[in-house]
Amino acid sequence: MDASDPAFWRAGAISSTLVMLVVLAFLTVDSLATIKPGGANVPHYNVINKEISYEFDSVASRYRPVIGGEQLLFGRRYSAEEAENTMRLGKLVIQSRNCMNCHTFFGNGAYYAPDLTKAWLDPAWQQMWMPMTQATSREEAIAMFLMNPDKYPTWRRQMPNLGITRPEAEAVVAYLKWMSAVETNGFPIHFGHIQTNNK
Amino acid sequence: MFRSQHLALKYFAAAMTLFGIMVLAGLLASTHYVQDGFLLNKLDFSITKTLHIDTMIIWLLMGFIGSVYWFLPVELERETEGVRLAEVMFWIFCVAVAIVALVFIFVQYGPATEMSLWFINQGRKYVEAPRWAAIGIVAVVLVFVYNVVATAIKAGRITGIMAVLMVDLIPLFGLYLIAFPSITNMSEDQYWWWWLVHLWVEATWEILIGCIMALALMQLLGTSRRIVETWLYIEVGLVLGTGILGLGHHYFWIGTPSYWLGIGGLFSALEPLPLLGMVVHAVYDAGTHRMKTTNKPAFFWVLAEAFGNFLGGGVFGFMMTLPQINLFTHGTQWTVSHGHFAFWGAYGCGIIAVIYLALQKARSVQMLDSVAWKWSFALLNTGMLGMVGALLVSGISQAFYERAMGGSTLQAFIAAQNNVWFVQGIVMRLVFGLVFAAGYVMLMVDLLRIGKRRAVSETLAPRVAGGPA
Amino acid sequence: MVATSLLLGTFVLMAGCYGALYCFARLRRDRRLAHVAVACYVLQAITAALLMVTALDFWWKALLLASLAAYWPIPPLTWRFLERLHIPEEQMP
Repeated sequence: MDASDPAFWRAGAISSTLVMLVVLAFLTVDSLATIKPGGANVPHYNVINKEISYEFDSVASRYRPVIGGEQLLFGRRYSAEEAENTMRLGKLVIQSRNCMNCHTFFGNGAYYAPDLTKAWLDPAWQQMWMPMTQATSREEAIAMFLMNPDKYPTWRRQMPNLGITRPEAEAVVAYLKWMSAVETNGFPIHFGHIQTNNK
Repeated sequence: MFRSQHLALKYFAAAMTLFGIMVLAGLLASTHYVQDGFLLNKLDFSITKTLHIDTMIIWLLMGFIGSVYWFLPVELERETEGVRLAEVMFWIFCVAVAIVALVFIFVQYGPATEMSLWFINQGRKYVEAPRWAAIGIVAVVLVFVYNVVATAIKAGRITGIMAVLMVDLIPLFGLYLIAFPSITNMSEDQYWWWWLVHLWVEATWEILIGCIMALALMQLLGTSRRIVETWLYIEVGLVLGTGILGLGHHYFWIGTPSYWLGIGGLFSALEPLPLLGMVVHAVYDAGTHRMKTTNKPAFFWVLAEAFGNFLGGGVFGFMMTLPQINLFTHGTQWTVSHGHFAFWGAYGCGIIAVIYLALQKARSVQMLDSVAWKWSFALLNTGMLGMVGALLVSGISQAFYERAMGGSTLQAFIAAQNNVWFVQGIVMRLVFGLVFAAGYVMLMVDLLRIGKRRAVSETLAPRVAGGPA
Repeated sequence: MVATSLLLGTFVLMAGCYGALYCFARLRRDRRLAHVAVACYVLQAITAALLMVTALDFWWKALLLASLAAYWPIPPLTWRFLERLHIPEEQMP
């Protein structure tokens, strides 16, 4: 077989493809273990009972989620099963309302509306929405906004009213809180902190 | 012409119709950016954007399927097996697409239940079509695969190109099963979703367009089978050798282990190398065979394919793929810039080339040429380059002001969206979108008329000369 | 960051220009075009040098240098391969 014989290149194509597929299979097994709830990078769903923040880790040299002490959501302590059911509902809301075609999740989706990876930690909830909605907690403000976004706009581009019910809104809030606790290798960089110098 | 080739022409017509709907939806989506409150709560951005990207995927898929129905009987020297069933499936496909689009537009949303996912919208990018329609697509595809495989079996022979194509169809359509499940864990959802999207557009689709281009080159330039097959195997080896683990460039930020930053970045950085080889190949073919082209538009669209693939996928991809950079560019208009350019260069141009090849045969024209194709070629490519450039400006400003400076909060998002460079880019995108739309109109005019005038004038000539009426 | 990514895009773009112009030069047997092609490669090398002083990590810089070395022979090797591949066809009546 020489280089102008198709069979030579066919053998090369088959072998390189097979090698890559085998490597991908191994990496997939490992990755799935890392990303399952309770895995190294993704917390159990009942992390929604805890305080979550996002801080710079000088050892890892990147921003990382930090799970703190108890911080109940809607005044409720969710059991593991309740948390999972709430997540299931929250994800169904996100899919049925097609959120991914305006927003991004982990930076994937559409870019018409903000990224929601760390939205739970956005200072705007306390600074803008809590006063607007007269809510006494962050989660209450988010839920009220989701149910009636037309009542609480913050700038010229408005979120449409998607007919989100109260249980659906609470589920989405819980989902956003859980998502903010996922280890994303530092994305988005320095969330909530403004840089004054060039990077 | 084989019956399968008549079916191919129907697929091409449907593809071009969806292309038009894609352009219209794109113009609407662009207007959402430029005019606040545009069709708010009537036809929101999420709907127009869904229509835009889904019609793109379907028109390209129809183009692929049409191309295979066109070349298959010629390759295997017999009529496609089960072509009558395929004709029925074509109409089912069209009706299903129409129903899905109408439900997107007029029903839009349902409650957070499985029923909504079954009948209205699944809400995962590119695979929003409700499950019932996804099942329909699977049915259409199964018949398609049956057509291809059964024809090869009945013919009792297989060519290298057809073998690659058939083997490629297995993962191509197998991956579509990822469109069905609803996975609660967003990390896991996106892990598998990227298998579907990346291993489609940066692996199995690349192979498929490679096979189609191989078949097209044999017809267009009279290139020998041995040459196109050799080149096809090299392409498959390089594209899959870099693209399979290049999948990792989508696994930087979704919760997956950090070794993907290295692996994904490395293989992604290697992906432009085979594309450079394809540019060399295209120039070589253009140079050595130029005088023998009997189909000017197809020839130029094939060249556009080679260069567009390299520029849109290779150059623009490389600009944003290294993880340290991607941390800032991820989820911005920069991605949109790259995406538009890559899809157009890698697939759009290639399908248009094949349609011109098919029309030459269908209208029995020796030398296919016109004025209109040049106008449409110029307008479409200028429009695309303009949109891509405008989106790059917006994307750069967004990466800087929202991510690097602003910390990606709502306030940072708003500041970037209001930034003068961002706004200028997003306005120019709409302007060039209109240029692209004009190009589409010219393309349709040309596709409907090219190669037909000679036949008309030949029948008129005897009359003018006083022959029988 | 913006400068780095634009440099990265320029890096691959210059590789493409080098490759395409190399081919045109071979087709037309035009020495000047060949020189322009080499000039593009030199620009690619300069871009690589500029990338060495960015904030990219060490291994990415090493990858860029290795890619630079790899891009040089790709057009001539591909061209030579294509010529060899086409020879039996040209020998046919």
